[in-house]
Amino acid sequence: MSGRYIVQKIAQAIVTIIAIVLLNFLLFRMMPGSPERILLRNPYLTQEKVEQVRADWGLDKPLFPDQFVGYVKATAAGDLGYSLQFRGQSVVDVIESHFWPTMLLLIPAEVIAIIVGLTAGSYAGWRRGSGGDKVASGTSLILYSMPYFVIGMPLIIIFAAGLGWFPTSGMTTPGLSSASFLTQLFDFLRHLVLPLAAISLGLIGGYSIIMRSAIIETRSEDYVTTARAKGLKDRRVLRQHAFPNAMLPMVTIIAIQLGYVVAGAITAEVVFNWPGLGTLTVDALETRDYPVLQGVFLLLSVTVVVANLGADLIYGRLDPRVRS
Amino acid sequence: MRSFLRGRQGRTLAGLGLAMVLVMPAAAPVLAADPVTLRVGSTQDLDSLNPYSTLLVVGYDAFQLTYNLLVDFGPDLEPVPGFADKWERAADGKSWSFHIRDGMTWSDGTPATAADACFSWQLGIDAINSKAGIGSLGAGYLDPGLDEAKVTAVECPDDSTMIVSTEDSSERVLQTYMPIIPKHIWGNETFETIGDAKFDAPLVGTGPYTVAEWQTGQFARFVRNESYWGNQAYPDEIVIQFFKSADPMIQALKAGEIDYARGGNAAQFDDLKSDPNIVTVAGAANGWTQLAFNTYGTGTGKTIEDGGPSTTALLDPAFRRALVMAVDHQTLVDRVLGGYGEVGTTIVPPVLTQWHVEPTNPLPYDPAAAIAALEAAGYPTDANGNRLDKDGKKIKLRMYFPGSDDNYPKVAQFIQEWYKALGIELSAERRGSATLGELVLPPEAGKKYNADYDIELWGWAWGIDPGGALGVFTCDSIGNSSDSQYCNPKFDELQQAQFDAATNEERHAILAEAQNLIYDEAPYDILYYDANLDAYRTDKFAGWQNQPTANGTPLFTYGTLGYTLLTDPNAVVATPEPSAGASAAAPSDAPTASATAAPAASGDGGGDTSSTSDSTPILIVIGLLIIAAIVVAYGMSRRRKASDEDDDDE
Repeated sequence: MSGRYIVQKIAQAIVTIIAIVLLNFLLFRMMPGSPERILLRNPYLTQEKVEQVRADWGLDKPLFPDQFVGYVKATAAGDLGYSLQFRGQSVVDVIESHFWPTMLLLIPAEVIAIIVGLTAGSYAGWRRGSGGDKVASGTSLILYSMPYFVIGMPLIIIFAAGLGWFPTSGMTTPGLSSASFLTQLFDFLRHLVLPLAAISLGLIGGYSIIMRSAIIETRSEDYVTTARAKGLKDRRVLRQHAFPNAMLPMVTIIAIQLGYVVAGAITAEVVFNWPGLGTLTVDALETRDYPVLQGVFLLLSVTVVVANLGADLIYGRLDPRVRS
Repeated sequence: MRSFLRGRQGRTLAGLGLAMVLVMPAAAPVLAADPVTLRVGSTQDLDSLNPYSTLLVVGYDAFQLTYNLLVDFGPDLEPVPGFADKWERAADGKSWSFHIRDGMTWSDGTPATAADACFSWQLGIDAINSKAGIGSLGAGYLDPGLDEAKVTAVECPDDSTMIVSTEDSSERVLQTYMPIIPKHIWGNETFETIGDAKFDAPLVGTGPYTVAEWQTGQFARFVRNESYWGNQAYPDEIVIQFFKSADPMIQALKAGEIDYARGGNAAQFDDLKSDPNIVTVAGAANGWTQLAFNTYGTGTGKTIEDGGPSTTALLDPAFRRALVMAVDHQTLVDRVLGGYGEVGTTIVPPVLTQWHVEPTNPLPYDPAAAIAALEAAGYPTDANGNRLDKDGKKIKLRMYFPGSDDNYPKVAQFIQEWYKALGIELSAERRGSATLGELVLPPEAGKKYNADYDIELWGWAWGIDPGGALGVFTCDSIGNSSDSQYCNPKFDELQQAQFDAATNEERHAILAEAQNLIYDEAPYDILYYDANLDAYRTDKFAGWQNQPTANGTPLFTYGTLGYTLLTDPNAVVATPEPSAGASAAAPSDAPTASATAAPAASGDGGGDTSSTSDSTPILIVIGLLIIAAIVVAYGMSRRRKASDEDDDDE
């Protein structure tokens, strides 16, 4: 079974990615505004110059088949074209230089949020109605409802501008590139604390709320009652019977969330001036840098598909029922 | 036991505590032997280090720090020596002889000569003479300057002489934006390729600083050019940091992380005024925000099928003048700009003090007079109070504005109210900049365009020559830069004549006439001249000087004078030893604390600074608390472990 299940899921993912690639092409060509006019924000623009640029960028050729075939070929070869905003830089380079900062921020944020969120959620769910639950659920709801920048701005005002413990923004202090590795690492960590806190807090709310309801659901399951009837200690029932079962939906949610969080951290990145994919997306949108937008969209959608695939596969391992 | 989580919580807490302890010492990074760094914040990103392809103000400052212009800009934007240290006009006025500095070198040690200057200017001349024409050098912002100055040829007979021939005898050749780049590095590039050439840091230049590092979207770092011919300024390095939004930048300025902030809004600006170490400057921008009326057909009689203005009234100057009178420009400045800006009138912004004139026949805000003027011009109202045009059609105007400025929606609301008082319904819709840029294009730009709008609310920013602003009202500009579709042969004549004027007095007179003509004909309602809201700290750098002195900002103007005038604020103290000690001690403290350490001379700081200086005890207390928490957590996890084992026994 498992071989076929895996092949089937992977095939689905590949088909989805192909569809995304095609949609990406259409979407950006349906957008208003001609690329050559964007490329040449120039009051002295002559018709000749426009024509020349159109030819340079292959925009004078028909959309189908010329432009389309060129696009598919190039994308398949990993060539996403050149950025309009960062003149001359390839889209792949531009995206890569923004990808790692995002990962450096999001991976620790996810890890912290999963640990704290699941812990707080299961505690709240297990002790439903207790004082601790009320505090945890209330806090989670507040955090969950706040966008990252709303969490981020007070952090900046209190801990950066007010107390001066951390820098207000950015990922590094400019000009430290010649300093020792340790100094640079400390500098990076200082810059990391506030954005990391903002994103973790935002994610904790969501995870904790979902975990709480998952635990509440399992509480009333027969196997939990059975475990209780066996006379097992309360904490053991939670840890060995309720928690693993509640984790099933969580695995899917976390995996899917991983896909979306790359895009979802946009506001946090913007507030903290973190040079990641979020700020890149905002920049590209503002400057109508279609090749970069196209590349970012491709990356984000592929991330979501791959995350979903991961969820399916992990779920398949965790829960034998879905494999059959 | 009831709570299994305590042990895990304890460990998490301990983990967090450890992380905090790791971070805490870093809160006071030891940046010993730090260079003096001027940190400048900008909400505008840097798009390119290539002077030929940058489109942004930040890009202009970046390339001007590295490269000199042939002739630089002085404190009041007057021509001062740059790459050339002196110049002379030939008797007929049509050629100029520039003397290139003796002994000047590029930052890599290569001699900088007239050959570099000729190479750089020739790129522009080649572009102008090419098939693609003006605007074909890179992004097309630099070569039009040479064209406006009527430069026809350059020649370099020897290493220290550059002869520039011009078609007319104006002095515009002294104010052209054409950076001199090193020929020994870029000599193989042509006007067609230079715009795509990779100008990667570090770059070799003759300017006061050369760019050493650029982290896209984060910062650009410039280091002092030791071989710079001019004044060696106080900062060893300049870092321009890019912010995605203004709020964090203003916080960074307050915290002392940056010394200068470019671009804030009125509320942020008012907030900064209470800080004794921060000075705010509202510099007049060289530009305006306008209502551009679609006057398509004026002077040509042409019409557009399925497009153009929705009423012929817009082609009537009397109608447009009434619209101008219905708008309370002062209220816009007060309520939309928070008082930072100037009421708009004529098309040469007042920042160009030498050229700007106020209108001879001003149109004051007077709704009653506006209504009277409309009635007199043949625009009555119907029974319901709706204003009718000469075809007896109800006048309903469509206004569009881009999403690029938060002020536009506010302006739009005011205008809707004011036009309503005239019986004119106004719809206001937002469009993306690119979409709007195309929406206003007429068929002259291509078959698919139909200029289907009535009013465009948007703005322009101009170069140092007043001629640029006139360019969008010429008949030729319809189909490219014109957003009013205005065409008037008389104006075209004036526009040409001001370029050809022999003397500045003559040019001033022609420009005055042109400004009044556009004001009276009102294809535009210039709402206000925007202000650049900049702010800087005075505790780490002194010597900030606005350029122009009357209404400019210290940085991001023309040339790089502002950077080179900066001095050490402690240098003026009579006993230099203690203050030097204080500033030397500052870097070893937290960056924010340097704000307190440095201004010993400038008296006690405000609430902000005292809070930063008091943070040390807080840090100690928190450190102790964390250690205590770790100890407790450790003890508890030990106990939990023991009880875990009990549990497992069942």
